[in-house]
Amino acid sequence: MKFAISLLKIAALATTVSAFTSQNSFLGRAVRPAVSTPARSSSNSELCMKYTLVLVRHGESTWNNENKFTGWYDCPLSEKGEGEAREGGRLLKEQGFTFDKAYTSTLKRAIKTLWLCLEELDLMYIPIINNWRLNERHYGGLQGLNKQETVDKHGKDQVLIWRRSYDIPPPPCEESSVHYPGNDPMYRLVANEDLPFTESLKMTEERFLVEWSAILAPEILHGEKLLIAAHGNTLRALVKHLDDISADEICELNIPTGVPLVYELDENLKPIPHPDAIAPLKGRYLGNQAAIKERIGAVAAQTK
Amino acid sequence: MFALSRSTVSLASRAALRRSFVVSQQAADKHTLVLVRHGESTWNLENKFTGWYDCPLSPKGHEEVKEAGQLLKKEGIKPDIAHTSLLQRAIRTLWHVLEQSELMWIPVQKAWQLNERHYGALQGLDKQETVDKFGKDQVLVWRRSYDVPPPTVDRSSPHHPDNDPRYAGFEFADEFTESLATTLDRVVPYWNESIVPQIKDGKTVMIAAHGNSLRALVKHLDGIDESTISELNIPTGTPLIYELDDNLKPIPQEGAIAPLQGRYLGDQDAIRARIEGVKNQTK
Repeated sequence: MKFAISLLKIAALATTVSAFTSQNSFLGRAVRPAVSTPARSSSNSELCMKYTLVLVRHGESTWNNENKFTGWYDCPLSEKGEGEAREGGRLLKEQGFTFDKAYTSTLKRAIKTLWLCLEELDLMYIPIINNWRLNERHYGGLQGLNKQETVDKHGKDQVLIWRRSYDIPPPPCEESSVHYPGNDPMYRLVANEDLPFTESLKMTEERFLVEWSAILAPEILHGEKLLIAAHGNTLRALVKHLDDISADEICELNIPTGVPLVYELDENLKPIPHPDAIAPLKGRYLGNQAAIKERIGAVAAQTK
Repeated sequence: MFALSRSTVSLASRAALRRSFVVSQQAADKHTLVLVRHGESTWNLENKFTGWYDCPLSPKGHEEVKEAGQLLKKEGIKPDIAHTSLLQRAIRTLWHVLEQSELMWIPVQKAWQLNERHYGALQGLDKQETVDKFGKDQVLVWRRSYDVPPPTVDRSSPHHPDNDPRYAGFEFADEFTESLATTLDRVVPYWNESIVPQIKDGKTVMIAAHGNSLRALVKHLDGIDESTISELNIPTGTPLIYELDDNLKPIPQEGAIAPLQGRYLGDQDAIRARIEGVKNQTK
C-alpha cells in the first residue's frame, strides 16, 4: 500500500514537474498594478478624459430614528438603514458600476453602508480606507440631545441656526465629555489640534477638503474608480466644492440616505452635468427619481 | 460666537496619556497575534474543493464568526490592524469579528498571499465524487500531501487567477495549482514583509484567513514538521491567540493544544471535538 502511494506521488509529481520547470515560479509575480483607464468622452469636439466618482450617504441610523443629534457619536445603522445600503449596492451592480478603491469615515454607520454596498457589488476585495476627515460634522454640546427637545429648550430659530448655518458651530462639548474625540482611542493617532469640540459646516468642509486635495483627487486623476461612503455634511462639503454651490444654498441641501450619487468628472475634476441631475447638483442619483425628490424634501421636516 | 475653551495643561496631559498608550505597547515584551479561520462556506456545505473560488459564508458560517467576535471582545483583546485574503468568506468573517468587537474602524489590508491554497483542476469538484473517480489514496495525496499539488489549470479555465480582475496587478504561472508547500512560499514572505514590521511597531494584529494559509503560518511560527502540519485541523471561526516575544517566537500559552503554542478561545472540549471532525470529509 505504501509503495502504491509512493508511486502515485511520483506520478503526480512527474505530471506537474514540467509545469514547475517551464515557469519560474507559481508565486504570483507582482506586475505594475493595473489601474482602470478613465473613459474618453467623444461627446465634445475634442476627446476629453472622464472620471467616475460615486458617493453614498450612509443609511438611516438608530439615532436618526430617535431624532437625535449624532455627529461623531458612533451609533449603528437601523434595520431600515441596512436595507437602504443594500439597495444602493444593488442599483450600482445592476447598472454595471465597478470600483478600484473605497473611502469611508471611522464611524460604523458609514462603514456598514459601504460593506453592504460592496457585498451587493461582489467587490468585497477592494481596499477600504477609513479616515476621520470623512466623519460627519461634530455636533459639539448638542451631540446626544433629541432634536425636538432641543427646539423646545432653545427655540426653533436658535436650533435652525446651529443646524443650518454655514459657519456658526453649536456650543462646544466639555473636554471631559464622552463626545470629545480626545477621550476616544479611535482618534489616538490624530493630532490634538485637529480634534474638534464642535464644528460648523464650514469647519467640516475645511478638514474634509484636506483629504480631498491630498488623497482623493490625485487618486481619481490617476484613474482609480472611487466609491465614497460618508455622511450628510461631509458629502455636502464635497458637492459644494465640486458643483460650486453657495454657502447659503448648501445649508439647505438634503442628500437622501443610501442613494448612490454618480458624478462624471472631466480632466479638471469639474462635473459634467447629467440630464437627470437635480439642481443644484450636477451629479445624478440612481433609482426611482420621483421617490428621491420626495425624500430630498423629507429631511427638512425633522425639526418643525 | 462661542469661545472654545482649551485648557492647554489638561490637553497636553491628555495627549501625553494617549501617546504613552502607544509607547507602552511598543515597549511591551510580548505581542498579541489573533488568527481566525473563516466560518463554514456554502461550498464547505456542498463538500466541494473550493480553493480560490469566491463562495460566500453559509448561514451557519455567519453565526460561527459572530461568536468569534464576541469571544474576542470578552477576552479584552483589541487588534490595531487586520489582514485578510481577497476571498469574501475570509473578508466577511473579519467584518463580523470587527463588528462584534466594536473595531470596525481599524485599518484592514487585503492580500492574495493570504488566500486559501489554490486547488488547481480540482476546484469546483465534489470531494466524494473525486474520491470515487480517482480513488481515496490519490485524493488523500492531493489533499494532505505537503508538497504534491493537484493537477494544474490553464488560462482557459475560469479558475485561473488571470481570469479574475481582482488579481489584475499580478502575474501567475500559465499552468497554475498549489500545494501546502507553495502556499507557505507566498504566505511567509507576506508575513515577514507586511505583518512583522507592524508587530515590532507594537501593534496587535489580527489575521482572518483560510485553513491552509493559517497552516502555513502556524507551521512557520511553531516550527511544525511537514507531515504533522498536513494533518493539522484548525477549527473554523475560533480565535487562535498567540503571544510572541520580541523575536516573534511564540510564548507557549496555557491551554494550548499541541502542536500549536497558541490557545483557542471558547469551549475547549467542543474545540477538541471539532479538530477531530474535519478529518471525516473524505472517508
